[in-house]
Amino acid sequence: MSGYDLAVVGAGIMGATAALRAREGGMRVVVLERDVAGAGASGVNAGTLSLQIKRVGLMAYALIGHEWWRRAGDAIGFKQTGGYTLAFNQREQAMLEDRMRQKRAAGAPIEFLTPREVRAREPALSNRIVAASYCAEDGFADSTRTGTYLRRLLREADVELREHSPVSAIERGFRVTAGGETIEAKRLLIAGGAWTASLAAMLDVTLPIRVRTNTVTVTEPGPVHLHAGIGHATGLLTLKQKPNGSYLIGGGWQGVGSPATGRGRVLAETLLQNLRLARFAVPSVATARVLRSWTGYEAFVADYWPLAGALPGVPNAFVLTCVRGGYTIGPCIGPLVADLILGREPALPLFDPARVNAIASPALAAAGR
Amino acid sequence: MNEHSLRIGNRGAPIHFRFDGKPIEAFDGETVSTALWASGVRAFDGGRTYFCAMGVCQQCAVWIDGTRVEACRAVARNGLDVRSGA
Amino acid sequence: MTASYDVAVLGAGPAGAAAAIEASSHGLRTIVFDEQVAAGGQVYRASPRIEGSGDADGDRLRDAFGKAGIDRRLAHRVWHIERGDKGFGVYALGADGPFNATAKALIVATGAQERYVPFDGWDLPGVMGLASATVLLKSQRVLPGKCVVVAGAGPLLYAVAHGIVAGGGRVAAVVDAQPRHAWWRPDVLSRPDLVLRGIAWLNALWHAGVPIFRGRVVRSVMREGEALRVCVVGNGRVREIACDTVCCGFGLMPSTDVTRLLGATHAYEPSLGGWHVVVDDDQRTDVRGLYAAGDVAGVVGAAAAPFQGRIAARSAARNLGRTVDSEGKRERDRAARFGRAMTRLTQVDDEVIAAIPTGVTMCVCEGLTRATLEAAIDDGCTTINDLKSATRCGMGACGGRVCEDSVARLIALKTSRTREEIGQATGRSPLRPVELDAIAGDFDYDALPMPAPAPL
Repeated sequence: MSGYDLAVVGAGIMGATAALRAREGGMRVVVLERDVAGAGASGVNAGTLSLQIKRVGLMAYALIGHEWWRRAGDAIGFKQTGGYTLAFNQREQAMLEDRMRQKRAAGAPIEFLTPREVRAREPALSNRIVAASYCAEDGFADSTRTGTYLRRLLREADVELREHSPVSAIERGFRVTAGGETIEAKRLLIAGGAWTASLAAMLDVTLPIRVRTNTVTVTEPGPVHLHAGIGHATGLLTLKQKPNGSYLIGGGWQGVGSPATGRGRVLAETLLQNLRLARFAVPSVATARVLRSWTGYEAFVADYWPLAGALPGVPNAFVLTCVRGGYTIGPCIGPLVADLILGREPALPLFDPARVNAIASPALAAAGR
Repeated sequence: MNEHSLRIGNRGAPIHFRFDGKPIEAFDGETVSTALWASGVRAFDGGRTYFCAMGVCQQCAVWIDGTRVEACRAVARNGLDVRSGA
Repeated sequence: MTASYDVAVLGAGPAGAAAAIEASSHGLRTIVFDEQVAAGGQVYRASPRIEGSGDADGDRLRDAFGKAGIDRRLAHRVWHIERGDKGFGVYALGADGPFNATAKALIVATGAQERYVPFDGWDLPGVMGLASATVLLKSQRVLPGKCVVVAGAGPLLYAVAHGIVAGGGRVAAVVDAQPRHAWWRPDVLSRPDLVLRGIAWLNALWHAGVPIFRGRVVRSVMREGEALRVCVVGNGRVREIACDTVCCGFGLMPSTDVTRLLGATHAYEPSLGGWHVVVDDDQRTDVRGLYAAGDVAGVVGAAAAPFQGRIAARSAARNLGRTVDSEGKRERDRAARFGRAMTRLTQVDDEVIAAIPTGVTMCVCEGLTRATLEAAIDDGCTTINDLKSATRCGMGACGGRVCEDSVARLIALKTSRTREEIGQATGRSPLRPVELDAIAGDFDYDALPMPAPAPL
């Protein structure tokens, strides 16, 4: 038992970058992690760092986060390959043009290309492309290396990291019991991703967080045909080929599972649709052998905006999760929340968790259930 | 089979295919790995002809007529174009 | 295309074939999947078009299997299974393309695979396992080499050595990790026929002038031109042997891919080959509708397998409303004794793992040496998953099937824990690599059911 200025629950990209900023600001910080750093969404996502798939209202955050990944560079396998978003019919073309114009206005350097221009640059792409956009800043990282990287950053910054320490109880003030030990901290930040709701519940706060179970697939290394990252007008496909030739296929197709019971499961029907869409967009993917598919949990609330700010009804408690495009945006929004915790004015607006009808009293919570 | 061969006992109809352009003789019922093994090809760029012999280790994976498959599971047939690289 | 069945059986080896035949005898609509072109599993593996391939026991199994009223899907690779409301969905790939089936009950009879233990030179061409050598000899009727060192532990050691000599090859040496007396356990005598066969094999080896070294292991294999030079150590001695091929194996491990994927409980028991799926006396796992039979539930050998298969099928039949009494359990347990005694012989000492030189590649798919893995362990990776994320160990094409056990033992050694505490990797789909095009099949873009697009 010892006193910390801040206890952060969750050593993913959110919790870790927030902890680093708080430490920079002079706080004594401990990070409590149920598994190992980056074991959640941060370490199992498809690694996409694309401005084109970011929400218009989060673009400013994405630009800053993107810069952090670029500086991380080789340590995280960052590659700035450029990225294309493709449309295959008129409906998709309309969606693409409308959305990309708005994203460009929000700061992303996006241009429109003709199908012929796209195929000249990337011959491996489908000849059924009807419209396309391109962003030279887009790229990807090797998400499996996130945990190791974060662990190193925390160690170098002298932030205490306790792995294999699931939080089992939180008392206001705060006393946090994790991995059989109880620590005391003046402030608390819950950055537990898909596990945030159960953590908030320990303080009798109900957060209406839902969880998506996103499927990602990797293929066997082989000949390289594709250089840039690929997206789809609807957001339902992300596809990239790593330097060794493995394709990483994502797009948010849903498996099934719940964070309380462990890792989710892949469902064949959605997996196959994901693969079909990949093959349609990039025919060279056809002969690749699928090696492994898995799922990762992505937390969200109904309006798809982040929960980033004070935890309603609990002084000195904060929450950061539900950031759509969180892998790119994390390194921006984590420090912003830390700034709030440090008593500074964050450089960009945060997203008040109180808006989602969070409940801070046990009686009301019981009535609500 | 003659005393210099690794093959045990008699074989049926001969089969001919190519491995990286080289002609390889096989016999009815043999896998591509067996034919390569008996022809003295025990390794190739990026793999070994036989290690687990069960389709598990993937070290014998080759390209056959444009499809990637374990050589130890692929039945040898006339005219196959087997390659160690894509 | 999805057809529905009462029972699906995975594997047409002695356990699976018996389970399928039994299930159909109770009027259950039964389907069997196996990757191979013929039934028999690994122990009775045969290539029917090669003369002399297989043996009488296997031929009898194939004959009964071929005559039974079951849907046989040989040469089909099952790549995914999921459990839903209707039971189990089995996703397979045959020569004609995707073939899927649903079944109310699933009997997993996926058998065992070789246990691979790395040593200096295990990744050289011409070095293989004992189970692999058995496949070459019995099923493909080809010698592993002209002059072979046969090493390791367990019954396959002498089966392979004898098979090579009988096939016209030369065995440069047998290197048995066990001392002679290790073979003489009470349970071994429960199969006098196999004891006599073993003695006959030893006799044949003696007649062929094959030296047998006991209590020794292969320390290293080096390439010397076209030949191999094997360094054998043990009992304070070091010996070098020239050959062209090395067949080295340390027994079998249950193939638990499917049972892990479906979330059944597993247990660790060295005398059963290590991690295996847990079944009750009726061959039921703790997942409803999921049964396991044969070596996947513990490596106890081919004799016990058909009993297990039939018990599993009878359990499934009972569960599906047929009146079937339970029998064969005593015979099953008796038949398992010899096999289990053999498995006990194949246990690998910690010393063998500790002795792996740091420069040896332990994860062949990703090219990771012991040194690289140890550095990551020293850096804080204490679980299989963590080591996987940090180094990619186990993320290659074999899915960790070759390296997982030895790497787990390395983690155990370095973190002062037991193999059991390190656990197993999570089961993942696809169960084997499958070509994307083959499983995706044909489709119409406009018919793709696209969920709602992402929010702007």
